[in-house]
Amino acid sequence: MNETIGNIRECIIEGGHREIEQLVRAACRSGLPPDRVVEDGLIAAMDVVGEKFGAGEIFVPEMLVSAMTMTLALNVLKPLLAGHAGAPKGTVLMATVRGDLHDIGKNLVIMMLEGAGFRVIDLGVDMDPERLAAEVKERRPEVLGLSALLTTTVPEMERVIEALRAQGLRNRVRVMVGGAAVDAAFAQKIGADGYGRDAAQAVALVRRFVTP
Amino acid sequence: MKPTPHNLFMSALYGGRKGARPPAGNPTSIACRELMKACGAGFPEAHLNPRAMADLALAGHELAGFDTVMPEYSVHQESAALGCEVDWGNETRMPDARTTPHADFSDVVVPESILDKPSLRVVLDALSILRREVGGQAAIIGKVMGPWTLAYHVAGTQNFLLRLGLGEADRIHRMLRQLMPVTIRFANAQLKAGADAVVLADHATGSLVGPYHYRDFLLPIHREITARVGGPMILHVCGNCLDRLELFAESGVDAYHFEWQVDARAAVEKIGHRISLIGNVNNTRTLLQGTPEDVYGQARYAIAAGVHIIGPECAIPLTTPLANIRAIAAAVREGY
Repeated sequence: MNETIGNIRECIIEGGHREIEQLVRAACRSGLPPDRVVEDGLIAAMDVVGEKFGAGEIFVPEMLVSAMTMTLALNVLKPLLAGHAGAPKGTVLMATVRGDLHDIGKNLVIMMLEGAGFRVIDLGVDMDPERLAAEVKERRPEVLGLSALLTTTVPEMERVIEALRAQGLRNRVRVMVGGAAVDAAFAQKIGADGYGRDAAQAVALVRRFVTP
Repeated sequence: MKPTPHNLFMSALYGGRKGARPPAGNPTSIACRELMKACGAGFPEAHLNPRAMADLALAGHELAGFDTVMPEYSVHQESAALGCEVDWGNETRMPDARTTPHADFSDVVVPESILDKPSLRVVLDALSILRREVGGQAAIIGKVMGPWTLAYHVAGTQNFLLRLGLGEADRIHRMLRQLMPVTIRFANAQLKAGADAVVLADHATGSLVGPYHYRDFLLPIHREITARVGGPMILHVCGNCLDRLELFAESGVDAYHFEWQVDARAAVEKIGHRISLIGNVNNTRTLLQGTPEDVYGQARYAIAAGVHIIGPECAIPLTTPLANIRAIAAAVREGY
């Protein structure tokens, strides 16, 4: 691997938010294509961060700093990407369900998806099923991602799927669910298309859903 | 030992003599819509009015068959007293704080009169009602938020965790120490108002933060809280905390209330000889989506594993069927 890209990768993994912009600018000045910096630097780094999180080596505080560092890198690269990258790989709508204001998981998933080249529309927190169905109808995303932290709010996920069915939208969008109170069996029971245990798995799911 | 609900619970809390059966206990809310309907006390009144609060707690004992009464259903009583704007919700949604007054990590000055703030006074008054009506009969459980949870509320969870990740240890320590007196004062006031034991809910949650965060930032604070609170305390921390159970056992609490993600046998093996364990029937898959038979099976598994007090893992979803909650009481009544 190119040494400069290796340094960018390590910087993101280690949460070097003070150094990252300088490193990325230097990489671009040296003639590295920005889309390669994204693929081999940013996305590769966040894949490692996701693996470390899944293995219990790091936790949300460290992951938030890595994600913040990646976002700083992405902001430097975005203006340069226009001529290099193709269209976004797909569109994902993200929200926490009604009654749940806990949005760290959702925010981490969004940052990871953006880093992985997807277009993400963040609908925020506390979203009614009917409102979510209306957003799916209007924006036609490939994937709808629902998050719930609390065991008191998980029943809302099923209501969202019911609302999509009621409006004839269920077959138009893949629904993925996640959050501390959810597991794969629950996801299957409510008729979701997939469950992500953490942000890295959510990215893997979306990659699978939108692969042509 | 006279096998009253109170005695069975308190003895199990201290790891003492076993009666004829294990107790069913709820350190966190078992309020659901069916229970609210059956007793005529629902949300949001049960967060704001001491009589409604006490009536809903009594329903858990009288209608659901639990050995405890626990009258605090939200995690926002203290944050409201600390200046967060709280939406108290309705019968379909739990309360939530809408503002974070110390997002800038400005100093938290705890008012001298904080125990007189309406959101705390209501809990103290409800506990006194319960003491008058079922004291000595059912075990009365109070609940306080620890400084870690309070920091989430006043500073914002993501903000707090980001500062932690950025290594701003001084800020984190200062905020925790400034919030700690709220926990201690409210817990002692609850014991004086009538609680037999107090839950210390502090969300250094598994997967969210690491055991090293708990050890470095919160364990010393928990030791100080348990030393300065004049009664038994039950620690509640959500998530898979298998990697920090030993640390919890060092905190000075009498029991730990745990989730299904930690296998009951593993928990008992690790710390069951040091502190009591309460839990750990799964909320989402079993209590909400399962049948009474599923709940019964999981409760019996926990009993067989040696869990001291049987109950749901955390505050239950409001649409949980009452029959499923009752299945926990049925399982404990079959004895050991």
